[in-house]
Amino acid sequence: MVNGFSPATLQEALEIRARHSVTPYAGGTDLMINPDPDAVYLFVNHIPEMKQIEQRGDQLHLGAACTYTQLLEHPLTPAILKAAIDLIAAPAIRNEGTIGGNIANGSAKADSVLIFFVADASLKLNSQSAERIIPIRDFYRERKQLDLRPDELITEIILPTKWLDHYYYKKVGARKALAISRVVFAGLLTWQDDVIAHCATAFGAVSGVVLRCPELDALLIGKTRSEAQAAKAGYLAAFGDMIAPIQGRVSAEYRKEVCLNLLTDFLTSNGI
Amino acid sequence: MMPISQSVIKKDHLAKACGQAMYVADYDTTQMLQGLILRSPHAHAKILSMTYPPLPEGYFTVDYRDVPGINEVHIVKDDTPVYADATVEYIGDPIMMLVGPDERELERLLAQIEVNYELLPAIIDVRDGDTAFFDYHFGKGDMDQAWAEADQIFEECFETGYQEQAYLEPQGLIADYNQGKITVRGSMQCPYYVHGALAKALGLTPDKVRVIQDVTGGGFGGKEDYPSILACQVAVAAYKAKGQPVRVIFGRREDMEFTSKRHPSRCTYKAAVKNGRVTALDADVIFNAGAYTTLSAVVLQRGIIAASGVYDIPALKVHGAAIKTNTVPNGAYRGFGAPQTFFAVEMLMEHIANALDEEPLAFKLRHMVRQGSVTSTGGRYHFPVPLPAMVDEVRKMSDFEQKRQVYARQQTGTTRRGIGISLWFHGAGFTGSGERDIIKAVTRLHKLADGRVEILASQSDIGQGIKTTLCKIVANELNLPLDQVSYDNPDTDRVPDSGPTVASRSLMTVGELLRRAAIRLRSQWQEGVEQTVEEHFKEPDFVIPFYIDKFQGDAYPTYAWGVCAVEVAVDTLTGVNEITGTWASFDVGTPIDLNIVIGQMEGGLLQGLGYASMEQLAADQKGRIRNHSFSDYIIPTAMDVPLMKVQLHVEAYPDGPYGAKGAGELPLVGAAPAYMSALEQALAGPINHIPFSAEDALKLIRQSRRA
Repeated sequence: MVNGFSPATLQEALEIRARHSVTPYAGGTDLMINPDPDAVYLFVNHIPEMKQIEQRGDQLHLGAACTYTQLLEHPLTPAILKAAIDLIAAPAIRNEGTIGGNIANGSAKADSVLIFFVADASLKLNSQSAERIIPIRDFYRERKQLDLRPDELITEIILPTKWLDHYYYKKVGARKALAISRVVFAGLLTWQDDVIAHCATAFGAVSGVVLRCPELDALLIGKTRSEAQAAKAGYLAAFGDMIAPIQGRVSAEYRKEVCLNLLTDFLTSNGI
Repeated sequence: MMPISQSVIKKDHLAKACGQAMYVADYDTTQMLQGLILRSPHAHAKILSMTYPPLPEGYFTVDYRDVPGINEVHIVKDDTPVYADATVEYIGDPIMMLVGPDERELERLLAQIEVNYELLPAIIDVRDGDTAFFDYHFGKGDMDQAWAEADQIFEECFETGYQEQAYLEPQGLIADYNQGKITVRGSMQCPYYVHGALAKALGLTPDKVRVIQDVTGGGFGGKEDYPSILACQVAVAAYKAKGQPVRVIFGRREDMEFTSKRHPSRCTYKAAVKNGRVTALDADVIFNAGAYTTLSAVVLQRGIIAASGVYDIPALKVHGAAIKTNTVPNGAYRGFGAPQTFFAVEMLMEHIANALDEEPLAFKLRHMVRQGSVTSTGGRYHFPVPLPAMVDEVRKMSDFEQKRQVYARQQTGTTRRGIGISLWFHGAGFTGSGERDIIKAVTRLHKLADGRVEILASQSDIGQGIKTTLCKIVANELNLPLDQVSYDNPDTDRVPDSGPTVASRSLMTVGELLRRAAIRLRSQWQEGVEQTVEEHFKEPDFVIPFYIDKFQGDAYPTYAWGVCAVEVAVDTLTGVNEITGTWASFDVGTPIDLNIVIGQMEGGLLQGLGYASMEQLAADQKGRIRNHSFSDYIIPTAMDVPLMKVQLHVEAYPDGPYGAKGAGELPLVGAAPAYMSALEQALAGPINHIPFSAEDALKLIRQSRRA
């Protein structure tokens, strides 16, 4: 018997969250693997406010309880996010699993989270008394350590869409479906008037949290093609210093080599 | 195609598709006790003492002292204890069972059991092993002369890893002891193996032992010997429970961590080459047996008999050893020792051809056995060897030559392509004289008064469709509609011992017995009365008697043949490869049901491709298997199934039903070397181990860049 609450509105959910020690449960695809018989669940998968998808100016607001399938089928979902979601697990899990859950799991191998990192997305966190909007990079303190208070829920992901059109995405898993990322990389690069207007990269599954180094990507921003080509070696070397992968089911050396290969290919494919 | 080959709806299709099939986990458990096994956390230790916590009413313990018969599980040799007594020999070695009504309470109580161990030195790496459970030598020809006259000598070591059967339904059995009789039912391949093991462990006469196979969700060899072990454990518990049935069903973790797998191997091959031809082969085959012998003897025998592959090599020296390590005992898995040696010999032939600057396929064809050739054990290939025609079929289907030439040229960009081909056989039926001397299969047909006919045999349908194919054979001979012939899951109280469901034998051997029985019944048919006919196995006259002590004679009456081409595209950035096509021709004789056989061929091929690549499994330094879930032990998903073109080449076998021979294991056996040969072309480097990972590929790419 599962003990839990099924609130109908966000307001109601936040009240319960404030009063009880509950585990938020959206799709449940992570939680049901090792069910805690003593847990009390707060089911947030039917809260309308958390299932909305809405474009406001340059920002796409995604309800945290949106399922992968919902996003895969939605016309407003950016192609890079669809590319990532398409390789997550398998249809049955995509039908239930949510992006808010992917974030709350706290893993650096979460494939939708990588896209939120490279896009410099922010999260909207609500409690009964307050609302906070913080960059996703600040939300992840370290592996499984999230800036989420016991009375808060992740309600929305705010995704800036301006730079998402020109993307590079590659996931390395042990097979084609139902595969946890062994290395996953996303890159964004936009040329405007022959200079790089925007460059952002992110690496998943290499460290405790998704690796995103805007200060290094800034080395290329504002550069012409020839300037970028001249800066390429330094840029790659700087990432070489930053990427210190964890040893896991594949070796750290493999992870690092693949990261740098993909980063190089990302530049090459952009003519750099 | 013969009419018998035409596909029908499988006998068990509707029940399975509608969820009505009763698996062992589906029985009502309200009157049942559950059992939970305490296992050794150490790879090798002496048990000094055990302290049980106070147990609530209705809970009790079962250990070796409760075994009423002999504390040994009868398999081939009987060194596996029902429950460990003095020592534990691997992580997971069963020590005792806690039995009671509530599973969570059992878990709580099990955690409170204290065992004091004295740790003993453990052998984890097979290279450190000093005990050969089995050690075989055989050969033919003049090795010394071949060596002395050789132009070149090649030597290479090949390694293969574990493979987990990964059947969907984990191991599970229910035992019930009532009025002096033990009944065990559940998931299994070989009811009479379980029957024999129970009689010994419980000290009961055969008539006091009953074994029933329930609908079984896959076996692949994993339910050949293991159910005998679990059956003894559960039966001893039921014996103590006195009247209340006891059920044990493994979770996925327990199943993956502690039940048998394919033997990892190290094969060191040496070949002498003179005038572009291999004149002698010295094969040293080492299998990691694990902690007990279980099926290692017979797995090793099949492996080493195939040591020279499909090649006619005049001088041969073969040594095979199954080495004890303090790890989980390895056992049967589709292919049964042959995938290991076929990987070694196929890759060796590739490498020798490459060194001689000859196309590997042409090199292989020049060495191929043909009808009348002498086998590795001095037997004969009595029937036509259809490999040349099958090679041609696969060449055409895959556009092999064209692709092979194109991919041999300098490749640019981030994709490297390659195509490879492998050739193999699988000996049909039991190795050696087992069928004649040990199994002595018996089948019966029981005709009811109303004219319906029931098959009485001990074959278990584990998804391979044997219920359907056996019924088709009998219905065909009796000119009955298929629904007038039935075959229930075997129950040893009702069916004779027609042998185990293993070794690609059921259809060929038992199917032929049933065909003969049906012919006899037809000749004796009387309307309106019950009739029974019985048929006993008889070895075909042409067979050259096999002597296992000398490895001499016909190891198999006939062979199934396989040819497979695999094409790959490797991403040089990640080392990840994609199989862009597989094309195969298989000769399993006459297919008794085309859909079933094609399904077997495709499924087996896929398991072989998984074996070669993603199915990574290893014991860590302490001897613990850590890949014990489907998220950590990676098998192909539907998305990983490549383009597969499979066709059948029929070389009918006169002593099999309508020409059928062994089918089940064949497709897996030689998939790995075709795949690795393709990768070798793509990566321009030699491969001598499987599973071969993306990381391994990236290393080869790096090396070839340097070179």
